[in-house]
Amino acid sequence: MISTAQDLHPAPVLEPGRTILELRGLEKRYPGTHALKPVNLAFKSGEIHAIVGENGAGKSTLIKLLTGVMPRTSGEVIWEGQPAALATPHEAMALGINAVHQEVVLCRHLTVAANMFLGEENSRFGILQQRAMVREAQKIIDDLGFDLPAHVTLGDLTIGQQQLIAAARATVRGTKFLIFDEPTAYLTRKEADQLFTLIRRLKGEGVTIIYISHRMEEVFELADRVSVLRDGTLVGTRNIAETNDAELVKMMINRSIEQVYHKEHFTPGATILEARNLSGKGFEDVSMTVRAGEIVGLYGLIGAGRSEFVTTLYGRHKKSAGEILWEGKPVQVNSEHDAIKLGMALAPESRRDQGLCLNLPVGLNLNLPIYKRISSNLLISSAQEKVQADRQIADLRIKTPSRGALASSLSGGNQQKIVIGKWLAHGAKLFIFDEPTVGVDVGTKAEIYRLFGALLSKGAGIILISSYLPEVYELSDTLHVFRRGRLVASHGFRAASHEDVLTQAIG
Amino acid sequence: MSTEVIPVEKPKRNYNVLFGLTLLALLVLLWILLSVATTSFATGNNIANLLRQGSMIAIMAVGQTFVIITGGIDLSVGAVVGFATVVVAMMINAGFPIWLAILVTLLVGVAIGMFHGFGIVKMGLPPFIITLATLTSLRGIGLLMTNGNSININSDTFTAFSRNSFIGVPNLFWMVILVGIPAYVFLHHSRWGRYLFSVGSNAEASRLSGVNVQRTIYMAYTLSGLCAAFVGVLLAARIGIGNPTQAEGWELQAIASSVIGGTSLFGAVGSVHGPLLGAFILATINNGANLLNVNSFWQRIITGALIIIIVYFDGLRRRGK
Ligand SMILES: Nc1ncnc2c1ncn2[C@@H]1O[C@H](COP(=O)(O)OP(=O)(O)OP(=O)(O)O)[C@@H](O)[C@H]1O
Ligand SMILES: [Mg+2]
Repeated sequence: MISTAQDLHPAPVLEPGRTILELRGLEKRYPGTHALKPVNLAFKSGEIHAIVGENGAGKSTLIKLLTGVMPRTSGEVIWEGQPAALATPHEAMALGINAVHQEVVLCRHLTVAANMFLGEENSRFGILQQRAMVREAQKIIDDLGFDLPAHVTLGDLTIGQQQLIAAARATVRGTKFLIFDEPTAYLTRKEADQLFTLIRRLKGEGVTIIYISHRMEEVFELADRVSVLRDGTLVGTRNIAETNDAELVKMMINRSIEQVYHKEHFTPGATILEARNLSGKGFEDVSMTVRAGEIVGLYGLIGAGRSEFVTTLYGRHKKSAGEILWEGKPVQVNSEHDAIKLGMALAPESRRDQGLCLNLPVGLNLNLPIYKRISSNLLISSAQEKVQADRQIADLRIKTPSRGALASSLSGGNQQKIVIGKWLAHGAKLFIFDEPTVGVDVGTKAEIYRLFGALLSKGAGIILISSYLPEVYELSDTLHVFRRGRLVASHGFRAASHEDVLTQAIG
Repeated sequence: MSTEVIPVEKPKRNYNVLFGLTLLALLVLLWILLSVATTSFATGNNIANLLRQGSMIAIMAVGQTFVIITGGIDLSVGAVVGFATVVVAMMINAGFPIWLAILVTLLVGVAIGMFHGFGIVKMGLPPFIITLATLTSLRGIGLLMTNGNSININSDTFTAFSRNSFIGVPNLFWMVILVGIPAYVFLHHSRWGRYLFSVGSNAEASRLSGVNVQRTIYMAYTLSGLCAAFVGVLLAARIGIGNPTQAEGWELQAIASSVIGGTSLFGAVGSVHGPLLGAFILATINNGANLLNVNSFWQRIITGALIIIIVYFDGLRRRGK
């Protein structure tokens, strides 16, 4: 089945514009979900082809079929004129199809270098050439302009950095067809720019690229053509010059959105939390206050210490100096438990590692923080359990067959909605949202921002961390900029320009 | 929005029920086959015997399942059973009232479980290691206490309990119900049960959601120790002696029962009825093999093969094939 001719006689680089890969009636059914209805689509050699669509529209599924990660239900894939079975990832790679998946699928316990060469290790007489591999990996990383060490354990990097490594890994594999599934979800503008440079360079070398994103401006910046998926159906393909933001959104969600960043201003009330000269692992001497009714935004590059700061507030890590005041009184927060008791809630950055119990039902995940409230003595009220879960599923429009479905069976964006949703019914006073809308589609983003407004109106305060500047910029009443573990600047609502904030973050 | 949320169906629960019914069908099938194949199977005496034997493994399997759901393992339970027979025998022979002897024995089980929790949570030891250590050292402590001898229990009231029946059903089987019902309520209808699952699935996410992960782990091992000590009391009553080398290898039978009953060794998947049925399936196979004069070596092989087959098919269906 594998077209071995491919490996023996590498085809000459196709002239740009010829069809390199064609989908004919490609279809995928999961138990209970028709994720991809028969799709016909042709990709041209050397183009950057964006794919957009709502959460659960079938984008990642399409990628999984093309890379042999999942078997298709029916249909054909034509690669350079020949039908390709694409039954295993190995076969796809042999053809030159590679992907940077939405969830980083690398080995967290191995080093960056070991991950880069996983499956293609450099060995002499069966002995791994570890040092040579680290050197080579470092060279590749430097070459791409990523400022990352090759000898550290992958798990020690942030998700954004891991995503960059995944991209570097894909590019070293002599690829002809490269797929990026929401690669910038965890990246700040600077890192995203590095990635864009890389993508354009690859395009210059004749590589065909599929680019999936929920950020329209990226699509318009990069892509030559864009295809829209809705509910597993291809609703259309446009040349980028012949379409616009509004049209794409309309095609995606079948209605239009007037305003994504829905911002309500409330008069700030009493101070809920104050950090005084707080220091800890990854940040130093940070002071700030959060008042009832306001959103305090934290912006900075990856690794600037924002997540470390909030997890320390939340008692997950020990502070090394400074004070935390809760409603004016100094408090010791020694554990998450203490934090939650005070009235804090944290929706963490990494949904896989910190946010979700993937092999448990959606309903259990949503109710996890509030089981105490929905049980009398020890017994859970199963009626309450249902009502609470179904309310979040409806409010956040979580696309799932039922609350009993496993969280792992949801699309990335829908999983993210659980991470936020589980705190909405909790009744906390201070909500900390760390990258809350990663991978969430534009319609639901608007919904989430509206829910922020609802929390504020009930007198809560919000700390919002985002690597996506427009989001923190448009929503924050106070915007703090972090650089290398320090708070370097603070601005009022829209008080500084994008450029100023970026400059302060990069330093 | 294009998708409707259909909140009524519950695939997970349905699946659990379905799997339970399959196990039940397998058990009934075995019983029918053995009734036809042998004359001695379907006799009152034999059935009572089978229920007694299966009951003890079943109770251990329930405690074991709690631990496995958190992603751990408790290798010590066989040794705890043996040790418990010694404790209860010594106390009864020393003239303590039976209720007090039983209570103290149960508390010893709780203490051992707490110790495991301490080793895992505070010392950072892997569950496999800390419970393996208890497995060997507890047998040693028991042998020291008894000088390697068996202790004959000199109380007929105590030993009669295991031999007697209540409305035609052996007392030991009633004990399964006594343990099984609260265990079921605990696992499936209390928040502590939910926490066992969530910790087994993702401890970090649970912790950030306010679940007390340490306490949950303590609880799982404590319950497992408690179940094992309770089985020790029942065993001592059944055989009338206290002997630290009793119940050799029972930990493996408990784990096997749990796994046959659909518990995943990766954690976060399991039930109470599954391990109970698993224990009785194992007991039936042993019992039937004895009656059919199958070499006891073969019994072990059959048990091993059965574990592979059942877990394989369970895995297949879980993946939705
Ligand atoms: N392993 C699976 N088992 C069952 N259903 C699945 C599985 N993976 C995905 N699905 C379902 O298939 C549909 C499409 O999912 P997919 O991951 O392709 O969406 P997506 O377009 O990538 O969304 P997102 O923008 O959120 O990443 C969703 O409804 C999802 O619930
Ligand atoms: Mg996706």
